[in-house]
Amino acid sequence: MADNKETPLLSVQNLIIEFATENGVVRATDNISFDIFPNETVGIVGESGCGKTVTGLSILGLIPSPPGRIVGGSIKFMGRELVGLAENEMRKIRGCRISMIFQEPMTALNPVFTVGNQMTDVLMRHHGLTRRQARDSAIEMLAKVGIPAPAKRIDEYPHQLSGGMRQRVMIAMALSCDPKLLIADEPTTALDVTTQAQVLEQISKLQAEFHMAVVLITHDLGVVAETCRRAIVMYCGRIVENTSIEHLFTNPRHPYAKGLLDSIPQIRSRRLEELPIIPGRVPDLLHLPPGCRFAARCPRADELCNEQIPTLSPAGTHADRVACHHPYAAEPAGPAS
Amino acid sequence: MEILQYSIRKLFSGIPLILGVTFISFVLMVYFGPDKTYELLGKNPTPEEIAEVRVQLGYDQPFVVRYADYLRELATLDFGNSDSTGERVDALLARTIPVSLALTAPGFVLGNVLGILLALFAAYYRSTWVDKTIMASAVIGMSISFLIVIIGFQIIFASSYGLGWFPVRGWSVNSIGDYFSYVAVPTMATVFVALGYNTRFYRSVLVEEMTRDHVRTAKAFGVPPTKLFYKNILKNSLIPIITRIVFSIPLVIISGSLLIESYFGIPGVGKITYDAIVSGDQPVLKAVVGLTAILFVLAQLLTDIMYRAVDPRITLK
Repeated sequence: MADNKETPLLSVQNLIIEFATENGVVRATDNISFDIFPNETVGIVGESGCGKTVTGLSILGLIPSPPGRIVGGSIKFMGRELVGLAENEMRKIRGCRISMIFQEPMTALNPVFTVGNQMTDVLMRHHGLTRRQARDSAIEMLAKVGIPAPAKRIDEYPHQLSGGMRQRVMIAMALSCDPKLLIADEPTTALDVTTQAQVLEQISKLQAEFHMAVVLITHDLGVVAETCRRAIVMYCGRIVENTSIEHLFTNPRHPYAKGLLDSIPQIRSRRLEELPIIPGRVPDLLHLPPGCRFAARCPRADELCNEQIPTLSPAGTHADRVACHHPYAAEPAGPAS
Repeated sequence: MEILQYSIRKLFSGIPLILGVTFISFVLMVYFGPDKTYELLGKNPTPEEIAEVRVQLGYDQPFVVRYADYLRELATLDFGNSDSTGERVDALLARTIPVSLALTAPGFVLGNVLGILLALFAAYYRSTWVDKTIMASAVIGMSISFLIVIIGFQIIFASSYGLGWFPVRGWSVNSIGDYFSYVAVPTMATVFVALGYNTRFYRSVLVEEMTRDHVRTAKAFGVPPTKLFYKNILKNSLIPIITRIVFSIPLVIISGSLLIESYFGIPGVGKITYDAIVSGDQPVLKAVVGLTAILFVLAQLLTDIMYRAVDPRITLK
């Protein structure tokens, strides 16, 4: 793919984030590295607590600190190092070059200010517009995300809007300054299924229109399949597989990714009682095994897995990268690059 | 219109509160309070004289009649004359309430404004030395007895052993200068004591608001931290702040500050209330208790209307 030869928009290298808890220091992400290229949509998938949200927050420098802290690694955005960047420089990037939308649109918007007030604030700050200009621009954005009667809606408060509508407002606000990268942290989890589809469709449409890259953080493989071109699968703070969507769904190489796919209920072809699950439990982040974190639950694990942490295979010419000592074989029929 | 309708409904719903408060206080006054009969009589009174005084005081009437009288007095705001001095109760309150207000208002305003400012600082610099210093000082301020603070401040600021800047006790409002010199030390003492409580309360309110999702959103959209505080966090925190401030207003108006008034020899409403409790001066007590209850109902109404102004999610129904 041509994209992979471009310079990445965002390049995360060996990022380590730790949280101080009462019981000790927890490593939320451990040496994760990935690139996001311009105009692509990448899903970061994993179960709760695997570090995907923390990864998203760290890109904008929003790790709550204390207790969280970036211990090592680098986050480069358009060639600029974001780790350790001064707050006032970081603020110019937030909501302007990189935007983020959050899971719960009810609590993520401020309940005591109107939609317009919150949107115009962003535009006035980043684009130096007057309040009137910002208002016009905000109404235009609301229309773009498919909100009917935007000139009226703009003066309403978040509680007067439905969940889907609020998430659209969040998207409108996030895109109002024409960002290069949108981080969407579980944007549809709190919405019902039909609204989910509409919101996802809206994101895809706007992604093309605004020429931005989208990082979609989710635990829902269905969402990933629908919207992303590439997926990064995380487990216990590490990336286990970074692959194209086609390969993830047809030929997952990491046993965890395969386990995830196998446990998706298939309504017509399989009875629910026969739904395979991944045996065992996610290890406690305070007491991680010395070797592969998935070893205890993995059907393919051996001595090596218990002793040595597998590293992500180098990118090379292959788009697919996997962190496993014994990955499933790549299907010969589907060439990796 | 909505507000007017709401206010009328709310005032009616305050009636049970007023009835409850006045009834309980009146039971306490009548059955457990001091009996004024013998205080008003000379030595060796005859049974006729005793009966006459009891009629004057209204003690001869059955409880229900006396309570009904009380309610009528409350409705007309005419409480008759003080049993002790014979002065009209309304005149007495009109004389003393302004004094108490003038005495407590500066401390009340300063205590809350400074409390909010310090709380903003502490929350902004959360878990740094700024926060820790402010919070430690707050605990020290809270731990020292009000009496010690009053006496200590009198010695430091008002006596010849200390700075001697202000009069030790007394009251005069003949000129701004007079007022300032008499109100200064009581105000400092009130602020010193109230500030700790206020700062701790307001800080916890602000810190709770800081952890909300919308604050994270605001940060993610590049809101600078000062603006984050004075716009996003402060407005969202106003409901508990309003509640605390408005509900302390009735106490500021009616009871004044008993300790301050007695230690500084200030003729405020706290002083006459205390005297009325000790001597069993029922007309004065009835007035003070009834007015306090009414003010609380009004404060409740005021907070509800202010909530509406602050939080669009609240409707007045």
